[in-house]
Amino acid sequence: MKLFPVGLFDRLANQLALLSYLPEPVLKGGGPLLAKLHILPDDMQNTLASVFAPQNKDGAMAFLKMITRWILDARSAADNGKKVILVPFNFPPEIIHAFEKAVPLTSEVMSTLGVLGLNGQGERYWDMAMGLGLPDHMCSANTIELGSMLGSEDFRPQALISSGPGGCDVNSKIHELVSHHLGIPQFFLQKPPEDSGRGFNYYTIYMRALIKQLEEFLGEKMTEQKLRKVIEKANRCAELYLEMWDLHKAVPCPVPNLFSLFLYGTRFTMWGTDEAIANLETLVSITKKRLAEKAYPAEKEVARCLWCYVSYYFDFSHFFNWMEEQGYTHLGDGLNLCFPQIIDTSTMDSMLKGLTLAAWNMPMTRQVGAESMSRSWSEDCIYAVKELNADCVIFPGHHSCKQTWSVASILRNEVTKRTGVPVLFLQGDAWIKKMTPMSVIQQEIDEFIKNVVLRKSSGKRKIRRKGEQISEPGSQG
Amino acid sequence: MDEIIKHSKVIENEEVKKWKAGGGRVVGYICVATPTEIMEAAGLLPFRIKALGSSRTEIADAHLSRYNCSFCRSCLQLGLEGAYDFLDGIIETNGCDHLRGMIENWDYVKKFGFLHYLKVPHIVDKDSMEFYEEELRLYKKAVEDHFGRKINDDELWKQIKAKNRIRDKLRKIYELREKDEPAFTGAEVLSILLAAMSVPSPVLEGLLDRVIEERKDKKITGYKARLLLAGSITDEVDFIKEIESIGGLVVADAFCYGSRAFWPPMAEQDGDPFKIMARMYLEKLLCPRMFNDFPARRDFVLEAVERAKVDGVMLVHNKFCDVHGVDNVQLRIALEKKKIPVLQLEKEYGAKADMGRLRTRVQAFLERIGGGR
Repeated sequence: MKLFPVGLFDRLANQLALLSYLPEPVLKGGGPLLAKLHILPDDMQNTLASVFAPQNKDGAMAFLKMITRWILDARSAADNGKKVILVPFNFPPEIIHAFEKAVPLTSEVMSTLGVLGLNGQGERYWDMAMGLGLPDHMCSANTIELGSMLGSEDFRPQALISSGPGGCDVNSKIHELVSHHLGIPQFFLQKPPEDSGRGFNYYTIYMRALIKQLEEFLGEKMTEQKLRKVIEKANRCAELYLEMWDLHKAVPCPVPNLFSLFLYGTRFTMWGTDEAIANLETLVSITKKRLAEKAYPAEKEVARCLWCYVSYYFDFSHFFNWMEEQGYTHLGDGLNLCFPQIIDTSTMDSMLKGLTLAAWNMPMTRQVGAESMSRSWSEDCIYAVKELNADCVIFPGHHSCKQTWSVASILRNEVTKRTGVPVLFLQGDAWIKKMTPMSVIQQEIDEFIKNVVLRKSSGKRKIRRKGEQISEPGSQG
Repeated sequence: MDEIIKHSKVIENEEVKKWKAGGGRVVGYICVATPTEIMEAAGLLPFRIKALGSSRTEIADAHLSRYNCSFCRSCLQLGLEGAYDFLDGIIETNGCDHLRGMIENWDYVKKFGFLHYLKVPHIVDKDSMEFYEEELRLYKKAVEDHFGRKINDDELWKQIKAKNRIRDKLRKIYELREKDEPAFTGAEVLSILLAAMSVPSPVLEGLLDRVIEERKDKKITGYKARLLLAGSITDEVDFIKEIESIGGLVVADAFCYGSRAFWPPMAEQDGDPFKIMARMYLEKLLCPRMFNDFPARRDFVLEAVERAKVDGVMLVHNKFCDVHGVDNVQLRIALEKKKIPVLQLEKEYGAKADMGRLRTRVQAFLERIGGGR
């Protein structure tokens, strides 16, 4: 443990290590108290207030336990003869878990945890990246964590995997830069933007080539036995994940808003491990209990909102919890749209095929890495709107996400045309608070729901069709 | 030179009009990873999409967003306004995220008569080369099917060789441009390249021969510094004119509307044309949309710096252009290690209002590097 850590990873790892020494009852009792005392910096205060809210507390504890193990595994990797492989969120971490000598570390999850848990959030690391001359339209999801690696004496991985090519230029470029700058090897899983069987066949070839490169790098063969063990656990995770998907359909929604994030946070880090199963089982069990009790944080569920890409992560309390207090359900966001499937574990081949499909279906890869970014993304959102009975769709407008911004207007047209639900476009940075303050985001959501969503569902607002006169109920028109 | 400048200043130039009047068909493309030989072998005129400095984007902004590159928004604006209605189709590539969005929106609003998506890998390795080679065969088939003309290997070879002759002539122009007393300004060279990507090859060959003959003894003097300009896609002749008007002569470039479009020579003269084109257009694609060959791009710039006796390098990227925005940082670091002065600039495409700020930055840079010339 570094005594005076400066990097994002080192600071977080120290905090989580300290927390891990506390017995759970102390944490559960002390956390809410700490949240009420207002002795911590505001940013941390907001995180605590959110995670220790009654509907979130037990789920948050389970998630914290899992994520602590994930980070501490990375920190102690070298001592245990393992290498840390930095992966992006759209790469299935179970592939790395299937090696004895490797642990995955997901850059976007690290950035998010840094924003949530560290005083000053991730801005100092963002500034380090900007100091190198990187443009301010980089994606903060990656740049915060990687800025720390580039600009401070922080923990460093031994290699990185880039699965951005084909799905996201900005991710792919910063991976390339980090690999050169830190002098660590970079492995690729590129996505052919081709929806046919031919595209998938090539993706399978690329996946096998990647596994071979990892085997050479780690000096370890991926064994059928170890892979089967991991995939059996990944299958259990998939079952639980899909159970949560189904639970989201109930009205009022029994799933606390914050759980959407815990779900994909699990998908991106410990999928295929006992810790992930334990965490997901806790989330399912809490949600089932809430379903039986018809529990909902507000007096009533006012609107069911599907966030079609990411959410906002710099203030949980005034985002996830605030929405719940207004009766606005967060049904999940685009990162939840990874549609996990049960993988056939009968042979090495069937397992590799299943893993390739899992990678193909990871969020972003599946949507904007497809042959048509707009079609694939729209289809998934429309499916989710119908399945989850959403009243509206909200596009968060993360400023650096050029590929979603570039086809968001098509998504809006298709969603409204084919489902009738309205779409709100916001603008901001999902990880950096100074771009659009949370109060503005709240105001825009609130106005949209009150003036568009609710008026539409009450029949007060009519959709204007070509050549049709507008008539409000009660008018003479 | 006058004729080239005339062709470079408009979208639908006189040669395109003549071609269309004669019953010829024109197919648009945007990215240099598109082998135009295939279109030419089918008797089509390949036409590279450009925006020619047009900064109006109000219609495009309703489809793309303000977070997308202004070059793509300008092209989309022109497309939706009808400036490209003379095209009989388009070959799309996944050049970058903005470009993909531009084509998806263009096609969503105003269906193309013919749209083929040529998928270009982002990595150079054996498997990607195979994928791309297959893509080229699919591209050929799509062209054959839609335009009803079979393409045989002999015709392809004829076009490959014609393209090679053009590459040689363009390299000759760069040789004249890079001389101690250059024969061309940077703005003139960009005009040549703009015309080169919008007229039929036989016409172009004649134009290039004439301009080489006309300029071979010309000597440009009186500038403050010799610059290399590199970065995002641009066809802004006026931007280069501004730089040159304050004494920075652009003697070399690394643009995809410049040297990156033609520089790597094609050594092979026989064999399977698809294998050869795949190598030419993917293996030697000097574009930051490729994610595993930064050293090749760095060396390409370093070689040009040395060859053209460059005093300083200007690395420019359009706002929101990720691939160049990040690559320019890596290039700047590499150049600074070699003690080569660098100016890194971010700008909006075609934004005249931005010119004052850019001018000040360039002036300061020129004072820093070019005082002694």
